[in-house]
Amino acid sequence: MSESSIVVEDLTFRYPGGDEPVLRDASLTLGSGAFTAIVGGNGSGKTTLCKTFNGLIPHFFEGAFDGRVTVGGVDTRDSDVAELSKTVGYVFQDFENQLVQSTVRDDVEFAPLNHGLDDYEERATRALETVGLADLGDRFVWELSGGQQHLVALAGVLAMDPDFVVVDEPAAQLDPQNARETYERLRWLHEERDTTIVVIEHHSEFIADYCDQMVLVSDGGVAWKEPVETGLNRLDDLLAHDIHPPQVTQIAADLPADRGTRSDGRYPVTVAEAAGAFPTPAASDRDPRAATDGGARGRSPVTNEDRTVAASQPSADGRGDPLITLDDVGHGYPTLREGYNQVLDGLDLSFYRGDRVALVGANGAGKSTLLRLLTGLESPDEGTVTVMGRDTAETLPEQLADDTVYIHQNPEEMFVEDTVRKDVAYYLRSRGAEGVDDRVDDILDYLDLEHLADRDGRLLSLGQQRRASLGIGLATDPSVVLLDEPTGSLDLQSRREVTGMLEKAESRVETVVVASHDLQLVAEWADRVLVMGDGDVLADASPETVFADPDLLAATGLRPPQVVELSDRFGLDAPVLTADGMVETLTEGR
Amino acid sequence: MKYVDAVTDISIADVKVDLMRTAYANDRALLNTFDPRVVLIWSVLFMIVPWLFYDPRPLAAMLAAAFVLAALSQVSKYLLALLLFGQLTNVGFFVVLVPLMGGVVEAVSYLSGNLDPGALGEAVPIVATALERGVSTALTNQEVGIDAVGAVVPFFLKLTIISVISLAVFSAMSPQKISKGLLRLGVPRQLTFAITYGYRMMPLLVEEYHSLINSFRLRSQVPEKQGLLRWRYFLYLLKLSAKAFYPLIFNVAKRARVTVEAMETKGFSHSLGDERSRELRTGGMRIAPRDVTFVSGSLLFVVALGVFL
Repeated sequence: MSESSIVVEDLTFRYPGGDEPVLRDASLTLGSGAFTAIVGGNGSGKTTLCKTFNGLIPHFFEGAFDGRVTVGGVDTRDSDVAELSKTVGYVFQDFENQLVQSTVRDDVEFAPLNHGLDDYEERATRALETVGLADLGDRFVWELSGGQQHLVALAGVLAMDPDFVVVDEPAAQLDPQNARETYERLRWLHEERDTTIVVIEHHSEFIADYCDQMVLVSDGGVAWKEPVETGLNRLDDLLAHDIHPPQVTQIAADLPADRGTRSDGRYPVTVAEAAGAFPTPAASDRDPRAATDGGARGRSPVTNEDRTVAASQPSADGRGDPLITLDDVGHGYPTLREGYNQVLDGLDLSFYRGDRVALVGANGAGKSTLLRLLTGLESPDEGTVTVMGRDTAETLPEQLADDTVYIHQNPEEMFVEDTVRKDVAYYLRSRGAEGVDDRVDDILDYLDLEHLADRDGRLLSLGQQRRASLGIGLATDPSVVLLDEPTGSLDLQSRREVTGMLEKAESRVETVVVASHDLQLVAEWADRVLVMGDGDVLADASPETVFADPDLLAATGLRPPQVVELSDRFGLDAPVLTADGMVETLTEGR
Repeated sequence: MKYVDAVTDISIADVKVDLMRTAYANDRALLNTFDPRVVLIWSVLFMIVPWLFYDPRPLAAMLAAAFVLAALSQVSKYLLALLLFGQLTNVGFFVVLVPLMGGVVEAVSYLSGNLDPGALGEAVPIVATALERGVSTALTNQEVGIDAVGAVVPFFLKLTIISVISLAVFSAMSPQKISKGLLRLGVPRQLTFAITYGYRMMPLLVEEYHSLINSFRLRSQVPEKQGLLRWRYFLYLLKLSAKAFYPLIFNVAKRARVTVEAMETKGFSHSLGDERSRELRTGGMRIAPRDVTFVSGSLLFVVALGVFL
């Protein structure tokens, strides 16, 4: 790889038509060979900064550009986007729309063909092998999962053999498992191919695991560039920009009198570091077997019988009749290549008043399908689904929506009007409710959406969109709440808002079912966890029970939150589920 | 409400997959195995050929051949059924419409011949006679309608042949092949790109449209009284499906913003003037003996129809 670096000098940029510059006197040097995370709050200019690297700014967005950006010594103003993209590859946050050809291979070949490179086929083959999609070259782009599409977008960039790869918020649109897959590929590129990697990232646990330096962008300027361990220790700076430090770092900061610091004086940023730095919990909290057998292996595995017992308890407790029952439900979809795809098979389930249910499981395990069946938008192919006493096959979804609300995992699909305010009011108005304006104002105020109320929901940032979609749901005053991936972008902000919304609605809400990859949300909020897989429920138990079974989590491709991993390393009998709980456990030890 | 679900839910999934298969699964389609240029020129040729015939018999034979081709090209049964239904109702309509118009003409001409503006008292029996004559004309002159159908049958046959052939061609050939062929024939790259991009986006838009309709449904109120044959309910669904286009268009516009940026980074503008890029894209096409056989065979078939039928 050629010795090159990206140098930004005193860059000020204003978008055409914008009043304020988005970048102000930004200066940054990214040397070759690093794995850099760029962090910053919403609207801080992170993405704008990265779009100057490949010349999209100033060549595509011709705003007021002052200062200088050089890539490998070439002033970007003297080159063009196509030429610069050979050196700087860019994977957009909205990667799905980066794919412009119908099949995977065509899309990866697109750039080399545009540049008239004779070896375009070999390039595409190599790029697809690098991202692990060599077998899917003939597939249509729309047949792939979101994670695979992201890898195709990455392969499309790699086909040009760039020295730099910029990836805009991989964890925002992908579930944690796929985001990790992308990060593994990036790590491989970084280590084996010496590619310089730049990611825009909100999620500090990925930064701690994969990056080696981080840059904080604040108010259009570069506030600092530090090694990751140092950067993640600047907790005040991070929190001021809505970036949440890794759970273990937060725990370390909350422990009294520097008990959580490492010998070199800083807080740990990964679980491994934390396990070495934190005080060992008191013996009374420890599993007696752990001392001899060494950690988790000593614990007796949770058997299926245990789970069934735990699951049957709520109903046996005399909680009354179930609100929702699924009786021997089978459901699936026809597919283009594989015929009928059976997603759910012989599913028997009941949900009771007061249940806080979390559906977890790998992609395609049927979480979203189950939720859609509960809305009545689809009727089960086999068996019956009864919601609040109504058979969904005999009831229109509009009628079920009297009591039930479904919040789509892609908030964009919920915006049907041209302002957020109208969208929130839509349900109430269509049902001729009274005092619509006041109720809408209340909701907008509660979710801090007032300043966005007259904007088009589609044009908001992802986090804001999610908040608006919660507002739409809250307006329906539901008894049964169905949330599909409410914290899709994995940030604590949205997690807080989701739990806040649930509390707000608690007076009337009787059951909440959340499909989620976000095990931190599951750990903090749920009282019943359904692990889905193979068309059925693999486990139905409390979060403590599920998180105490690493094999079960591994089988579904789920990664427990850091506190749970830490509990495991300490050999705690029952896993601690929240950061506060861990702080308590660790302080009690002394 | 099972039958409603059958219309709005299950069959939608089936129809979607069937249409996808028509548009996207072309591996075994006959027309996809020929050189794309040959197929494109051939289809233009056969858009013209039916107009050279008037006699229904050779046209019917051509239609049968077109259907065989469609079957070999795995055209969606739903699309073919829709097409046939449209053409048959069109033709059938003449059987009703022609006598009806005859009746109206009869009644009006009787009226204008007999009605005296000066004597309004006699108007009622005259109008009644006019109506009677009109109705009896409309009810008894079915053979006129059938004659009319006979007159338009060749026209409909021609239209159907063209429709079936173009369905077969566009569902059998992969977008890459079509645009490759067009590009080689000198069509500008912007247009050929638009074709492949359209193919790429279509399934996505269908999905998005479906989920927007679902969003509307979950937040709307069904009409309380559903009316005869539930017409109010179906009108409501129809209104929703029209409304859902509005957010769809906005979403598409939003997608396009990223797409144009991405195309720039992938060197699309660069490729427009790049001769090497064009050569690589259109390379590897060769007219094989089987292409020639296909074209000459189908021409022979037409000539034979002209001579013998």
